[in-house]
Amino acid sequence: MVKKKIAKVLAFRYKILAAILILLAGGLVLLPKYQKHEGIKPEELLSNTISPERYMTTDRLAHILINQDPSFILIDVRDEKSFASYTLPNAINIPLQKLFDEGSVSYLNQNQYDVVLFSNDNFYADQAWILCNRLGYKHLRVLKGGINEWFTTIINPVKPAENMSASDFELYTTRKAASMFFGVVYPEQVKAETPKVVKVAPKKVITIEKKKKAPAEGGC
Amino acid sequence: MKELEKTKRISIAATLFILAVIIGLLTYKRPKNIYAINTKDTLEKITGDNYIITLNELNNPDFVLIDIRNQYEFEQGHLENAINIYAAEILSVDHIKVFDELKESNKTAVLYGNNPQEVNAPFLILYQLGFDNIKLLAIENSYLQNKLISKNTVIEKSEADVTAFINESVNKATTAETLKKVVIAPPKKVITVQKKKKAPAEGGC
Repeated sequence: MVKKKIAKVLAFRYKILAAILILLAGGLVLLPKYQKHEGIKPEELLSNTISPERYMTTDRLAHILINQDPSFILIDVRDEKSFASYTLPNAINIPLQKLFDEGSVSYLNQNQYDVVLFSNDNFYADQAWILCNRLGYKHLRVLKGGINEWFTTIINPVKPAENMSASDFELYTTRKAASMFFGVVYPEQVKAETPKVVKVAPKKVITIEKKKKAPAEGGC
Repeated sequence: MKELEKTKRISIAATLFILAVIIGLLTYKRPKNIYAINTKDTLEKITGDNYIITLNELNNPDFVLIDIRNQYEFEQGHLENAINIYAAEILSVDHIKVFDELKESNKTAVLYGNNPQEVNAPFLILYQLGFDNIKLLAIENSYLQNKLISKNTVIEKSEADVTAFINESVNKATTAETLKKVVIAPPKKVITVQKKKKAPAEGGC
């Protein structure tokens, strides 16, 4: 009797198994809610954003630009108007609003280049960086202090006071040389050039004295 | 007999599979914090919405100040009635609860730090988690004789016109150059007076 009952239940076993599988498959429909969870975890994002690793100093950037390092791309996230008035050499303009436009993603999400984001300050550049970091884009950096810092350190470096250390003076001279590279002209630079021109002028005239012919003294 | 064994194996495999799926589902932990909006919407919102407020606008009973600096700095001096939530711990359960409560009671959390840049990251992360009741206080804090001094600042203000500066430096240098030119006396021409050669005393007789 018992055997018969078991046999009856066992006859349905495939149907039962199939029903359970279908139920579980139905459960998968509920899962895509988590797929909205685009990008890395918020906790991870927070720790990434708090670390200052992404910042690049203006001195380092000046060094890169002067050496014309081909592995860097500069991206200006300010609006078109500011971009037109001044930007760093060879920078590409991607205004913050257009950060995720089709054309811009190819610059941001790649493995070939290091990308340096910058704006007037590092506020907008940071925002761009945070959003990109959430999507897992690698090789992105932010110019610390942005264009304002670039101006005060590289374009218009402050001359150190006399009681400051030698390294400050060294830094000043490198920055000054860098600013000359980026188009700033100093009065003393011109002064240094002019004497060179002057020096050429007075040629020494070496007059070769011809040997006087021995006067033909009276013969006969 | 062989066929029976085969079907047995299939059913065992199927049960194991179902068990694995069930265990998986049971142990699946719902992530603590989930983004409410994706990056594109966030971008649209932060470029469109006005989330920055100044000190003058603080006089609002719905605003709750939140200091995101660390405890040490907070104790040194902070704005009146501010709550201290350090930026690195902003996602911990207790702190998220604070923000949840604020959202439920329709209050606005106003985040501030030593400068707006510092607040940017915690602000943006909370914003993406769906807290749209947060604002950013654009101030810069400094200490004068252990007293906190807060000043309004403008975010992303262009402090200098670099192109103008470079052009001016070029202009200055060129005017200096022309001035210099006037000062420099032209090289003197050396006029060598050629002496007349004495007529050689030619052979007489």
